[in-house]
Amino acid sequence: MSRAKDRVGTWIGWGFFADLANGLALTFGYMFSRPVTMQYPDQEKWLPYPRYRGHHFLKRDEEGEIKCVACELCARICPCDCIEVIPYEDDKGKRHPAKFEIDTARCLFCGLCEDACPADAIALGQQYEFSSFSSRDLVIGRDDLLAKPGKATTGGGVVAARLNTKKDVLVETKETQGYNWWRNIRRT
Amino acid sequence: MELAVALGLIVFKVAFLIAILLLLPLPLTWLERKVAGHMQQRMGPMRVGWHGLLQPVADGIKLLTKEDHIPAEADRFLFKLAPILALAPPFLVFVAIPFGESISVLGTEITLYVSNMNVALLFVFAVIGIEVYGVIFGGWAANSKYAVLGSLRTCAQMISYEIPMGFAVIGVVMLAQSMSLLDIVRAQADVWNVVYQPVGFFVFFVAGLAEAQRIPFDLAEAEGDLGAGFHTEYSGIRFAFFMVSEYAIVLLVSVLVVILFFGGWNGVLVPLPPLLWFVLKVAFFVYLFIWFRFTFPRYRYDQLMAIGWKVLLPLSMANIIITGVLLGA
Ligand code: SF4
Ligand code: SF4
Repeated sequence: MSRAKDRVGTWIGWGFFADLANGLALTFGYMFSRPVTMQYPDQEKWLPYPRYRGHHFLKRDEEGEIKCVACELCARICPCDCIEVIPYEDDKGKRHPAKFEIDTARCLFCGLCEDACPADAIALGQQYEFSSFSSRDLVIGRDDLLAKPGKATTGGGVVAARLNTKKDVLVETKETQGYNWWRNIRRT
Repeated sequence: MELAVALGLIVFKVAFLIAILLLLPLPLTWLERKVAGHMQQRMGPMRVGWHGLLQPVADGIKLLTKEDHIPAEADRFLFKLAPILALAPPFLVFVAIPFGESISVLGTEITLYVSNMNVALLFVFAVIGIEVYGVIFGGWAANSKYAVLGSLRTCAQMISYEIPMGFAVIGVVMLAQSMSLLDIVRAQADVWNVVYQPVGFFVFFVAGLAEAQRIPFDLAEAEGDLGAGFHTEYSGIRFAFFMVSEYAIVLLVSVLVVILFFGGWNGVLVPLPPLLWFVLKVAFFVYLFIWFRFTFPRYRYDQLMAIGWKVLLPLSMANIIITGVLLGA
C-alpha cells in the first residue's frame, strides 16, 4: 500500500520535475556559500602543517656546528640521486660535509633522506615557494640549506599575505596563526 | 528631409544594436564564469580588474592576437564562411525584435524597434534556421572527426527541435491573432501568455535551450566526449565569432521567451519603466541559462532525440489543439 503510494508520489514528483528543481535549489544555495578558494599570492597564503614536506634544511647542534656527519646515507637512499655529499675532517677530528648539494629540480620530496639520517641533520621544512626560471638555481648548497626555515610549528591555517615583486617574487606574511580554512567547507 | 531623418534614425538604431550585441558577450562571459565559480565554491576570475571585470577584455585581446589557424586538409572556403554564417543570423534577427513601444527624445517619438514586421515571428524562425549552417559547415570543413561528429549531432538536434519550437508559438499567435511581435506583446497587457500557455512556454523554453546548444542539450560541443565539437579546429578571431554567436542566441532565446510568454515590457505590481522591466526579465532568463548549465548533466544523444520527438512534439501539438478548442468555445 505504502509502496504504491510512494510510487505515485515519485511519478507526481517527476511530473513537476522535482529532481531538477532540487538540483537547481542546491546549486543556488551553493552560489551564496563562501568560496573555499584562497586568494593565494595577492591576499592570503596557506601555512603548512608541521608534517609538511617542503624545502630541505640542515640543522645545527647546540654549539652551532652543523649536525651532518657526512655519512652519505641520505645520498644513498635518495631515489632520485639528487644529493651530493663530499666529506672533510675538521681540526677536532669530526667529519662534516665540505659540499652538500641537493638538486631540488630532481627531488620528489619523499622525505627518505630525513628518515635515513642517523644524525638527525636533514629534514624537510615548511617552505614551498621556491620556483625559479632556471633549473640551475634549484641546486641548493650547504650554506643555503643551513639558512632555510625549519619545520612549521603551527599551521593548517590561512593568513593574510601580500605579493611582493619588487626585489624578487615573494609572498610576504607577518602572522603565524591564521583562520582555519576548513570552516568554509560546506558539507551537504 | 523627413526621409533623411527616418533613414538616419534607422542607421543609428542598427549601429546601436550591433554595438550592443557585440559588446554584451563581454559581461556575459564574465557573469557566466563568476556564477560558475560561485556555484562550485570558487571565485571565478579575480585578477584582471576589480573582481576580474576586465577579464573578458583580456580574453578578447588574446583571441585577436592568436594565430588564425586553418587545418591543412580543411575546405578553406567553407571554413572561412562558417563563422560568418554562424554570427550573422542571430544579429539579423534582432532587426525584427521590439524592445518597447517608443520613447520621446527632444520632442520626437523614437520607436524602440527597427521594424515592425507583420510576420516578425516567421522571420525570426526563418533567419535563425540559417545559423545552423554555420555550425554544420564549420564542423564539416574542418575535416576532423570531432568536428564532424559535433555538426552531425547539431543537424539532428536542429531538425528535431525547430519543429516543436515552431508549434509551441502557434498557441501564442492564436491568442494574439497576429504574428507581429509588437501585437503579441500588446495582447499581453493584462495577463501574460504564460498563464494561458504554460505547456507552450515549457516546450518553447526546452526547445530554446536546445536551439542555443546549452547544457543539458549542448551535444554539438560536448566538451567531455568531443573535444570542443564543431569548433574544435577553430582558433583566434574565428573562434570568437562562434562564441559571440552563442551568446547572441542565448540572448535571443531569452528575449523571445520574454516577448512571447512573459509579457514583454508589460510590468506587474511594481511600476518601473517598461524598458527596465524588459531588461530585468531578459536578464533573469539569461541567468537561468547559466544556472542550468552548471546544474544539469548533459543528455545522451538518443535521449535528446526521444525528448524532441516523443515528448515535445506531441505536447506542442496537443497544445495547439486544446488552445484552438478553447478559443473556439
Ligand atoms: S626528499 Fe627524497 S628525493 Fe628529495 S632529496 Fe630527500 S630522499 Fe632524495
Ligand atoms: S644529512 Fe644525515 S644522512 Fe645525509 S650525510 Fe649528513 S648525516 Fe649523513
